[in-house]
Amino acid sequence: MPHRWGMAVDLDRCTGCGACVTACHAENNIPTVGDSQAARGRAMHWIRVERYWEGEYPDVTLKFRPVMCQQCDAAPCEPVCPTYASHHTDEGLNAQIYNRCIGTRYCANACPYNVRFFDFFHPQWPKPLDAQLNPDVSVREVGVMEKCTFCVQRIHAAAIDAKAANRELKDGEIQPACVQSCSAKALVFGDLNDPESEVSKLSRSDRGHKLLDDLGTLPKVTYLNRPQA
Amino acid sequence: MERRDFIKLTAVTGTSAALASCGNPEHQLIRFVPEEDIIPGIAAWKPSVCPVCSAGCAVNARVMDADIETVRNGQRGVVRMNVAKKLEGLPKDPISRGGLCARGQAAIQITYHPDRIAQPLKREGARGTGQFKAIGWDEAIAELVSKLDALAASNDQKSLAIVARPRRSRRSELLAEFARRFGGPPPIAFDLFGDDVLRRANAISFGHDQLPTFDLAQARYLIGFGADFLGTWNSPVAQNAAYGEMRQGRPGIRGRFVQVESRMTTTGASADEWIPVKPGTEGVLALGLVHLMNRGPERTAPQAAAASRADAARPFQGGDDEYTPQRVEQITGVPAKRVERIAKELAELRPAVAIVGGPPLAHTNAMFTALAVNALNTALGSVNQPGGIFFTPGAAIQGPAPSPQTPYTSLGTAKVLLIDDANPVYTSPTAWKVKDAIANIPFIASFASFVDDTSVFADLILPDHSFLESWVQSSAESGSLEAASTVAEPVMKPIHNTRATPEVLIEVAGKLKAPVSLPWKDAEELAKSAQPPATSNQRPATSNQRPATSPRPPASSPRFEEPRFDGDAAQYPFHFLPYLSPAFGDGSSAHLPWLQEMPDAMTSAMWSSWVEMNPQTAQKLKVRDGDLVDLTSTQGTLRVPAVIFPGIAPDIVAMPVGQGHEHFTRYASGRGANAISLIAPIAEPETGAVAWAATRVKVARAADANGTLILFAAEMRERPHEYKVR
Repeated sequence: MPHRWGMAVDLDRCTGCGACVTACHAENNIPTVGDSQAARGRAMHWIRVERYWEGEYPDVTLKFRPVMCQQCDAAPCEPVCPTYASHHTDEGLNAQIYNRCIGTRYCANACPYNVRFFDFFHPQWPKPLDAQLNPDVSVREVGVMEKCTFCVQRIHAAAIDAKAANRELKDGEIQPACVQSCSAKALVFGDLNDPESEVSKLSRSDRGHKLLDDLGTLPKVTYLNRPQA
Repeated sequence: MERRDFIKLTAVTGTSAALASCGNPEHQLIRFVPEEDIIPGIAAWKPSVCPVCSAGCAVNARVMDADIETVRNGQRGVVRMNVAKKLEGLPKDPISRGGLCARGQAAIQITYHPDRIAQPLKREGARGTGQFKAIGWDEAIAELVSKLDALAASNDQKSLAIVARPRRSRRSELLAEFARRFGGPPPIAFDLFGDDVLRRANAISFGHDQLPTFDLAQARYLIGFGADFLGTWNSPVAQNAAYGEMRQGRPGIRGRFVQVESRMTTTGASADEWIPVKPGTEGVLALGLVHLMNRGPERTAPQAAAASRADAARPFQGGDDEYTPQRVEQITGVPAKRVERIAKELAELRPAVAIVGGPPLAHTNAMFTALAVNALNTALGSVNQPGGIFFTPGAAIQGPAPSPQTPYTSLGTAKVLLIDDANPVYTSPTAWKVKDAIANIPFIASFASFVDDTSVFADLILPDHSFLESWVQSSAESGSLEAASTVAEPVMKPIHNTRATPEVLIEVAGKLKAPVSLPWKDAEELAKSAQPPATSNQRPATSNQRPATSPRPPASSPRFEEPRFDGDAAQYPFHFLPYLSPAFGDGSSAHLPWLQEMPDAMTSAMWSSWVEMNPQTAQKLKVRDGDLVDLTSTQGTLRVPAVIFPGIAPDIVAMPVGQGHEHFTRYASGRGANAISLIAPIAEPETGAVAWAATRVKVARAADANGTLILFAAEMRERPHEYKVR
């Protein structure tokens, strides 16, 4: 049976620290765009921490929610792509093939989660910042759309290692960069086709819900509520 | 044409075609022979220690090959090297436990920063203009030696000043030894936002002159007093890990968390219950809870703890009798009923633990507050108990003792100043006039990796390796229930013509006319050298050693006194709360582009400075998101954009520290405003620590939004207040 990668986000553990945001930049060669482009809404964060204020002082609460690509099973971004750059892999990922992408940005329009980012310009890393680039991840050129991949390079590397050692992938063996950096262990990644995996168990939790569930996008990311105290 | 000739001809034309394409100077770079074994595409993992804050998390660096532009024997070229690609937490480290915060992730950019100082520099233009010329190491070291020799020749060794970052590593010891053996005063290692009050209070209450470690993973109730322990305070990575376990790590048990503070921190946002109090009154609430545990109907708590509970408030003048729920309500603004309910919860849900830190300990009555929360921990029976408060064993405190109120007074008479990884011009209140003092010192040498607000005044810069290129050593003060000490070799070879500062100092010491001998021969020996034979929690014998620690009484039995503030309440109606930025801390990581572009968790602001104000206050001042306001304290005025922030009292405005550097690389220079410049240098009387939350300001609307407030995806969401994009 093929794998079906998914993630669980425990909002009761998440403290909004932002480690995942920076870890994602470091792993996936995401460029920083600078202040004036950021002001035009062109900053790229494959994962972001959203905040929701409720109430008024002094009875005020703030809730955090890390949001990355939800890797939908019925992904609105996929059917709109004229070049099949945005497509579904047999392991359930919403993949983006950069050299097929012609930059129509239809996918970003269609995505209800706002997790797709367009490269408005050729990325730049003033030397020697380029020495840090991860050789396992391609650098995106101007004019293409990019997004969270669940760190597919790490998934492939672990799969190759397991195959070379003639064994099955172990649960927890693959950690996307955000999951690995999270010290509170709010993020858990794994195979949803394995009912015993940590992520499967968490996804069945009665605290679990999907983001914008009523849209019928069938996300593979499950959020676990912070209990109301 | 014969086949052989054809091949010859194509070889020649091919080569000349290739040469013709060398118009781009980058392509003319010579390729040097690699100096180490390279296995292309295969990653190795090497441990190191994160240098960004004092928590001392061990990191694991992923090392792979890359082309690095460099200089070898005066010739610019490219060399293939094994270099760090990514930092992760080191799983076996008892502090980071495999996790790493945003600042730690971004620390790799220190090494590869495009504005890093790549070779020794000598000042060329007028002081402070940042004009330097590149020189060789021999010349640089000779220059420093000659300046130190001149001091020694005129028997003026006392005029050597060293300013260093407060660090828990052998490097502090090296600097102290250098100063002592040369005959100069001990190094000044001052942290404006340091925790000296809490350390002193812990020495008084528990006999440990040290920051505490919390066993949150086993706690069932946690009450925090102002400490941003999930964001910036103490050992955030370790505390996040334990916090996650407290919430969801035990089947069927979820620890409850209450946070008491005046402005909601990221930590406060995670709390089940957020209790705002009047600034500087947090200790009263703590003692009110102790009072209820002793007198109230909740006395039924475990018998074993009864004795310690009764003792807990004994050090306080009049015990806990004064702190009835009614009086607590009067002073703190927290309703008596709520105080009673919290006390009841504390009695029911054990183990319970209290944490104090940050703004409550930055008032003039900070010692009272710290002792009151310590008393609460005693009353809860949480000291050295599972789910309670611990002191990491073997974490001997090294380095100089806390400095007096104005640590930099000696700079006024210094003739030679050495600066190691400190930026006192940026991190000092304006009134101390540190910039003027430094500008007037005849000779300044810095070991900085970047031209910052302080090193821009240097006459000589002898750049250090980055931490990934150095031997590193750290012994953590807190964050682990067991002793945690890390020594690691360099992760990679240096990419620039830099030298390890310990080795530069050792070389300089040996080259003096009257050589100073240091007990280490190089950076490796320094990092590996054994802990000094200090008993636990005792400082090594240095000239300004603090007394040894056993529980000792405070100077006088404490009682609550209203906090004092700088600035008349009528003229300066708002409390000013500067707070450590989750991205930049005290500003020392503002030069890293990933952190500049990381949206702030509470406001989503990036690349910006801002001041947070309550929606009511904003309405009164007719201020919308992004509008510019003038903040004025007795120390000066700052113009910053406003962020309307629901989690703050109407009479408080808060501003993150970290931006507003005059000089700090292309990413941070001239960006935003420095909150520290508004802080009035009022002292906490017992330790002399700066009461950095005790300044009052007035706030006036200055101008419409001009785009200096940058919010992530600002145009994508509904906002109650119009916001204009530049």
